Amino acid sequence: MHETGIALEILHASTKVLADHGGTRVVRVKVAVGELSAVEPELLAYAWEAAVAGSPAEGAKLEVEFVPARQSCPNCGPVVREPGAWVPLCLSCGSPLNVEGGTELDLLQVEFETDGEGV
Amino acid sequence: MSPTADVRTQILEANRRAAEALRRHFAGEKTLVVNLISSPGAGKTTLLEATLARLGDRYRTAVLVGDIATEKDADRIRRLGLPAYQILTGGACHLDARQVQGALEKASFGPLDILFIENVGNLICPTSYDLGEDFKVVLLSLTEGDDKPFKYPAIFSRAAVAVLTKMDLLGVVDFDLAAVETQIRTLNPSAEILRVSAKTGEGMEAWCRRLERALSAKRG
Repeated sequence: MHETGIALEILHASTKVLADHGGTRVVRVKVAVGELSAVEPELLAYAWEAAVAGSPAEGAKLEVEFVPARQSCPNCGPVVREPGAWVPLCLSCGSPLNVEGGTELDLLQVEFETDGEGV
Repeated sequence: MSPTADVRTQILEANRRAAEALRRHFAGEKTLVVNLISSPGAGKTTLLEATLARLGDRYRTAVLVGDIATEKDADRIRRLGLPAYQILTGGACHLDARQVQGALEKASFGPLDILFIENVGNLICPTSYDLGEDFKVVLLSLTEGDDKPFKYPAIFSRAAVAVLTKMDLLGVVDFDLAAVETQIRTLNPSAEILRVSAKTGEGMEAWCRRLERALSAKRG
């Protein structure tokens, strides 16, 4: 349960972006969370609400883009699967599969307001 | 529409930078650094005790151990006459690179061949935090059940070595070794899987050789 720490890091990074751009209030933050990042998107959203209280990002929307890991067969190409449903061997040829991606834990976008701008 | 800044940086950028500083430091010192991760009670400290009994007089070793409370694990290592430093996280479920930097300053171990970092017992959170290690080792004990790699895919996909511990309990507990090894290979085709019992000594040779190979590679 380290989503609180992750939420605080997102807050820290996004308020730095806000300061760099001369903004006054963060209204939306978009992050990428990979399937293999060890972060649970729902818990992160919950932790975010608590983390932003009293900060320039209070009330800001946290948009989480979930990035699945990709399994692929060296002979048959990409494997279609649901997140969490790992395929042990290629369903067509029985070869061991490779895993790529899904480790993302990135800040993608920060939307903000500047002084004198209405909501 | 309000102005939007496209950034694309790692959320754990501060930790990444601290980990890179540690990695440069350890590269200069030619110290092999191993980050041990498992659930509580899988046998991290016991594996370390058995490892240090074999390697402790041949190499300069030290252990950094993370726990929420108590010095118990560091005391077990100190009883072997070897240096250990306990990081008390006070509730945090993982170690981060800045805690490791702080602990190394306080511990002042001197030159080391191998530094073992025993993470807080947890299969999830420690996965996200790079500590500047050469590689992660995940431990899974036979009593935890044979469905764990697919349940906790993040750590099993990132650990270079998976150690199946308490092998002396095979036959006592229901544990499908083949199924577990298939799950680990599915998540990480290049993972090395070792079957170990610190109690009987089974697999300890292979584990120690794995460490010595990594140390030779680090020394170049």
